[in-house]
Amino acid sequence: MALFRFFSSLKLTVWLLGLSLVLVFFGTLAQVHFGIHETQARYFESFYVFWQYPLEWPAGETLRWIHLPLPGGFTLGILLVINLVCAHFRYFRPRWNRIGIAITHFGVVLLLVSGFLISAFQEESRMGIKQGSTSNFATSFHDNELVLIDHSHPDYDELTSIPGSLLKDGNTVALPELGLEVRVIDFMPNAMLASKMQNPTGPEPRANRGAAQRMGMFAVEKPSVSSDDERNNPTAIVELVTPEGSLGTWLVSDFMDQPGIPPQAFELKGKTYELMLRQKRIYMPFTLQLDKFSHDVYPGTEIPKNFSSDIQIITPGETSTQPALVYMNHPLRHGGYTFFQASFLAAEQTRDGIPWTIFQVVENPVWQLPYYAVAIVGIGMCVQFLISLSAFTNRMKKASA
Amino acid sequence: MSFLTRNAIPLVCLLVGMLIVVSGMRPAKYDTPFDIESFAELPVQAGGRILPIDSVVRNSLLIMRGRQTALLPDGETTSAIVWFMTMSFNPEAAEQMRVFRIDHDQVLGLFGWQQGDQKYFSFDELRPHFETIREQTSKINEQPELRTPYEKQLFKLYQALTLYYQLGGVLHPAQDLDTLPEQYAEWATIAIPGKQAADNYAADAPADWRVLAEYVRFAPRYEELANNAYFSIVPPRTAEQEEIHDWINVGEALLHTQETGEVDPVVLDYAELTVAWRQADPERFNAALASLHAQLDPHANLGKIAFEQFFNQFEPFLRAWILYIFVFILAALSFLVLPQSFQRAAFWVLILAFIVHTFGLLARMYIQDRPPVTNLYSSAIFVGWGAVVLGLILERIFRNGIGSFTSGLVGLLTLIIAHNLAKTGDTLEMMQAVLDSNFWLATHVVIITAGYSAMFLAGFLGVLYVNWRLCPGRLDKNGRTLYRMAYGITCFGLVFSFVGTMLGGIWADQSWGRFWGWDPKENGALMIVLWCALMLHARIGGVCRETGFMQLAIAGNIMTAWAWFGTNMLGIGLHSYGFMDKAFVWLMIFAGSQLVLIGLGFFAPSKPRPPIEA
Repeated sequence: MALFRFFSSLKLTVWLLGLSLVLVFFGTLAQVHFGIHETQARYFESFYVFWQYPLEWPAGETLRWIHLPLPGGFTLGILLVINLVCAHFRYFRPRWNRIGIAITHFGVVLLLVSGFLISAFQEESRMGIKQGSTSNFATSFHDNELVLIDHSHPDYDELTSIPGSLLKDGNTVALPELGLEVRVIDFMPNAMLASKMQNPTGPEPRANRGAAQRMGMFAVEKPSVSSDDERNNPTAIVELVTPEGSLGTWLVSDFMDQPGIPPQAFELKGKTYELMLRQKRIYMPFTLQLDKFSHDVYPGTEIPKNFSSDIQIITPGETSTQPALVYMNHPLRHGGYTFFQASFLAAEQTRDGIPWTIFQVVENPVWQLPYYAVAIVGIGMCVQFLISLSAFTNRMKKASA
Repeated sequence: MSFLTRNAIPLVCLLVGMLIVVSGMRPAKYDTPFDIESFAELPVQAGGRILPIDSVVRNSLLIMRGRQTALLPDGETTSAIVWFMTMSFNPEAAEQMRVFRIDHDQVLGLFGWQQGDQKYFSFDELRPHFETIREQTSKINEQPELRTPYEKQLFKLYQALTLYYQLGGVLHPAQDLDTLPEQYAEWATIAIPGKQAADNYAADAPADWRVLAEYVRFAPRYEELANNAYFSIVPPRTAEQEEIHDWINVGEALLHTQETGEVDPVVLDYAELTVAWRQADPERFNAALASLHAQLDPHANLGKIAFEQFFNQFEPFLRAWILYIFVFILAALSFLVLPQSFQRAAFWVLILAFIVHTFGLLARMYIQDRPPVTNLYSSAIFVGWGAVVLGLILERIFRNGIGSFTSGLVGLLTLIIAHNLAKTGDTLEMMQAVLDSNFWLATHVVIITAGYSAMFLAGFLGVLYVNWRLCPGRLDKNGRTLYRMAYGITCFGLVFSFVGTMLGGIWADQSWGRFWGWDPKENGALMIVLWCALMLHARIGGVCRETGFMQLAIAGNIMTAWAWFGTNMLGIGLHSYGFMDKAFVWLMIFAGSQLVLIGLGFFAPSKPRPPIEA
């Protein structure tokens, strides 16, 4: 009972709201260092976090030891939901003049729950399409995969993907369908690549097949980055082992996944496989074709006025295509994915002078939930506001009468 | 009391207020036969929109000098348009006018000047130091956010000089002004053969050397003008330009002569203006002006141009600001003497100020064709306006001078903020693509800004409360009223902040598929929502009493200032469009002052207050 009293008390509500405020404040400051993605993971999608006194602040050197422990977003969210539900059982009396507050609180619970669901289910990725070309996959911002691609079928490629989360030093991943084991000898979250040809004084390559062998490619580990405009180049040294013995070691890196760098391949049971470490790709059951990318500016200025992509949706098995226009604030929703005009490469920025469009691709099965939640809270607040207003005007009338 | 004695003071005050308003409405008088007024209304294109030349010039002076006027060598001020005409038609005289503001001692030290002697400098005074400025500017930090105050001011000076140079070449090349028509005539005959000769020369084919020599006397200069002119004076000439309303600048128009063999009539008329001014021939000047208007007016929305010109001269926000000071004083007086008369006077003048403020707000919306809040500047205008609306409502209900007092205070403070934000240039600038949605600007942005208004109003009610708390007897009558006002306004603030924030979420979901992205500005708005919720729950749960609630309301000022400005200062995120440098110090001063006021609430009151009902 004491526990119920604790969890239903308004004092707890005030504490939780205050702590949420502090968390949001420090979670905003932290973005200067960590970027949004990292901050989100550390502060808002976590159970606790330690805030550290920033170096740039006054006396940063001497006060660097200050650490402030804070409950994370998950902790506060869960406690707020519990507190809200308990408080309702404790205080709620079915009274009409409180109906707005009840509706509002129900909406807030739904909003918090939708926050959890979205952080669990939402997948964000990017898709770049060159004008006049097509694409049927998006690449993940932050996840990687090690893939083995078999090009031998005439109609399709057969792809085996190992999620980046399994690439850890000393880990072995068995691929029984291929009759193969992948041993991770060394995984580097971020590394720089160079070759002995350009840089003869560099360290000896640590792999004996592929680019390492051919060009003397070696990797130098770098500290990980997390700001919004930098990206890690995950890199690994892997050994491929068959029951008959080792096929050798390869240096694989996300850095090699760009035009101009020849793929690394190996032979197994008469088939040729390509080996790649790359940003995780999300393949779609349809293809997008970019007909034209337009980019307007206001006359006589460099201020962008509008970006838009004229595209066609090509669905396999269907003869006709579906045209669509994606532009600012007007995304395309198709097949459970939403495509947003996020960015572009202007003709001047590309080597062949053909522009690219870049879509942000979001897969979020519960995207409508916050809309409902917000609508409910909004209705609740308005109802309560009107109730209070009429009560107030009645009081004023009585007072003046 | 008779009607007259009751209303004498309010009527006199209202009359004074009206005088302040009307004094701005009469057109500017220039003591000269040259039709300066008409020159000021010539349409040009700058920053992607068509506006009267006067607007561009005023904004340029704001950037260079922080004011819309120039300083003559004798210390008198002169209007922006007269300064610009002097600069265009008689550059040597303009170079004596003081239009560059420098107040950082280290920058002044570069030139061997001491702080305190003077703040404004002329082009002529800076001329011997150009090399120093160029050299020192090349050394400053390339990342704007890491620059020291010295580097920022130096860079600003460098930009102001560049702007001055660009403005000088906006109507014509800035040399040999007396012979402009002859130069243009010569260029018209040489342009086509000259271009041919230059092309031949470039292609290693035989070229006419005499023609080429003539040609290079002009072409490179015009090329430079085309690259540097600050705004465009020639309306669209081709169907292609017409379609996107793309005006061309004087250099581009002169280079176009290489295809037509004729100098654009607009450019010729501007040359005619120049010569007429230099020969002190007002009739010729006004005739050329009439011809220019005949050519340019069909390309502009004349009503809008004339209206913007009136808006520039009337300066509604300056007038509203003066009126708010007046309201503030009257309301403060009402707390000391003749409460009824001064309350009424304050209320009437507040209504007048509100009308002028509303006019300014609507005028901006009409000129820009946008909802009221489009950038940081307009948000300041709107926050003040919203607070005044709420203050008027409070005053109407409670009739105790408190609504007038606080809204007058918020009104005048926000307009000071707006004035300082205007120093970055055209406040009616075009919108970035991502913001280009009138629907969301009208809903999300306006509602969230109205939420700021409510928070500040509640906060200043709190400020009044903690101050009165120290004056014996003050709160006996008004304490409960103030508390109720602050409570009501906080509820209002919560509704608006929440609805506004969530509309932002929907906008974000529509634009980039993320309902909530923990962007700094979003977080700021969320902090306001959380703070309001905290205040209401603290009140209902008995965690705080009357004074505590008012202290929380003052802390709300800090939250709101953080959400409004602080988040922009981080220089990150999707909303960092309004990045400012100097304002950080002011934000800290404001936060500090609010903390002191909260502390004031802990001092023993005149007598203990009874507990409040939950």
